Amino acid sequence: MTPMRPRPWWAVLLLALPLLSTGCASWTPSPGRGTNLRYSPREVEIPSLTYRRQGAREAVTAVESSRQGALSAHLAFVRALGDVTTSTRRISSGLSRLEASKRGIAGRYPDLFVPFVAYGAHQLRWMDAELAAATRLSTLASEMEDPDMQLALLRLGGPRLQSTMMGAMLLAVWLDFLTLADVVLAQHPSYNVEHLFVQMERSRTMLGPAMTALASGEPGQAEAATADLPALIGHLTGEFAATRERVLESEKNLQKIVLVKDLLESVAMVSALKMALPRMLGPTPSATLGVGLMMGSNGVMMGTRMVVSAEWVEMMRQLVRAGVISLPAVSAAVRIHAGQVMMAEAYGDLPRGVREALGDGPEVRGMRVTDRAGAGMAEPPEHHVMPQEFREWFEKRGFTDEMSIDHFCVRMEQANHQAIHGGGDWRLGRNWAGEWNRLVMSELRDAEMAAGRMLTRNEVLNIVAELMTDYGIPMNFIRRRGR
Amino acid sequence: MSDGHAWQGQWKVRLYERVRERGFASLTAFAEARPAVPLHLLAEELGKDDIVGVQVLSGLLAEAERSHQVTRFERDVLVRQLSQSLPEGWPAALDDANRFKVAKALARWIGYTPEAHQDRARQVMAALLASPPPPGWRPLGPDDELLRTLLPDEEV
Repeated sequence: MTPMRPRPWWAVLLLALPLLSTGCASWTPSPGRGTNLRYSPREVEIPSLTYRRQGAREAVTAVESSRQGALSAHLAFVRALGDVTTSTRRISSGLSRLEASKRGIAGRYPDLFVPFVAYGAHQLRWMDAELAAATRLSTLASEMEDPDMQLALLRLGGPRLQSTMMGAMLLAVWLDFLTLADVVLAQHPSYNVEHLFVQMERSRTMLGPAMTALASGEPGQAEAATADLPALIGHLTGEFAATRERVLESEKNLQKIVLVKDLLESVAMVSALKMALPRMLGPTPSATLGVGLMMGSNGVMMGTRMVVSAEWVEMMRQLVRAGVISLPAVSAAVRIHAGQVMMAEAYGDLPRGVREALGDGPEVRGMRVTDRAGAGMAEPPEHHVMPQEFREWFEKRGFTDEMSIDHFCVRMEQANHQAIHGGGDWRLGRNWAGEWNRLVMSELRDAEMAAGRMLTRNEVLNIVAELMTDYGIPMNFIRRRGR
Repeated sequence: MSDGHAWQGQWKVRLYERVRERGFASLTAFAEARPAVPLHLLAEELGKDDIVGVQVLSGLLAEAERSHQVTRFERDVLVRQLSQSLPEGWPAALDDANRFKVAKALARWIGYTPEAHQDRARQVMAALLASPPPPGWRPLGPDDELLRTLLPDEEV
């Protein structure tokens, strides 16, 4: 007998999301949306069946509220994608500008410094690919009828959204380093080029492993890199500040110093360094030093400065509660925005009020445990909901790449697995043909026969989602390991 | 809706407890009081977190076998699948989207039909597609006239 387990987070989520979404008007879908009910009670025709009507109405309400929850999460996902796309575009134009900087980085020593720009451009490529895949999943989610399947697809895109979001932050820091090198090369020709190269190389080596982990597509690696990102950006801020100081010290001409200083100070306006730098460099301690983060009505505040807006917090809260983005990732992002990237601060937790505003709660913390299980540490077997013996059949219907059937695995307790495979003593009807794999394939084939054509990918997913609901298989997909 | 608890513990005991709590002597009686309501909604009413559609289905089948009303059970399940997929009734025009809805309802029904009767169910599917019922046709229960023509009782 399986021991009692706490209720999985997503069950609570479906209840919690609609409640949360009513807290913020802009996230509440208009009543006309999402009314694509599969079942509408026919009360008029059957007036005598009062008991049935009541039960059915309750059930319809439950369907409706999980639909709204999925819709809020979807809107947040789309917004977050938009935010990340905006920053990658900005970085992209920054990199193009530097690549063509004939007086600076592409000037006298292009062989030394242009590869640093190329490194940045290379990172943009994986980010664009991940964003495109996340966008496809988001579009697909919007085409699904079943709210559980919508959320499941958003969760499938979650790691891609999250690593791009964190990767873009890190890349923005790298863009600041490149701009620093550009200014030095253009305005300070007497500065030792070898020193500059060594400093750049050291910084790139520092951020390289984290970037590679984020680009790896392995949720476990990316999650670890994300948690360490504030500390890493803290180190990089130190490097940046030190380089800046050395450049200024080496310049003898006072006028030139003023010019270079101004230029350098206008650098680091792109990235997180902007917030962290004043606290390192400022001769007078920053007014915000020692001031903690607080959740205010306008967003997360540090003293009187707004770190992130209330809209951003609400967006992240939706994504955290839906299990799309992890709380540690959002916390790291807040810390980086706040400039709280020094070691001592980075290892502390965010204040409770801020954490709760970002969606923290017992069920979300429980979710992290599930995630760890998803990283391959726990035993329950993984099971393809679309039978892998028929991989080719599914590939022909569009289940390739980020939609490959390997992304649609569920972890099931042994008891469930046996029940679904027809083992154990679960068949009340002797002739029951409900063995999962056989049922899925036979139903899909019958549906194609009835439709007189090949099913589309969305139609296959639609059928599978309903079957999973009927079988009580939670739509909590994990990716099969080792592929 | 289920959070994965549905298969834990003695689910058959749980299922019948819930039916009795609601004042019904059998699952069939409970379901008959809710004609054309999709299986997953029946399950949701019996236990939002711990009863699922196929459990209701297998309970209904077991009762039907005991009372020799399996064909009636099959018609009942078809009605529920049609209601889930085509709440507005049989579509007037079988465009791509409607054709899928019809196909889904019929294919699910075949899957939920006892294996020995699946070929007969496929013939019913073919008959329905070859000469479609009038637009708006919404059978409200297993005694629907058209369904009884397509799938007449044998046991009685």
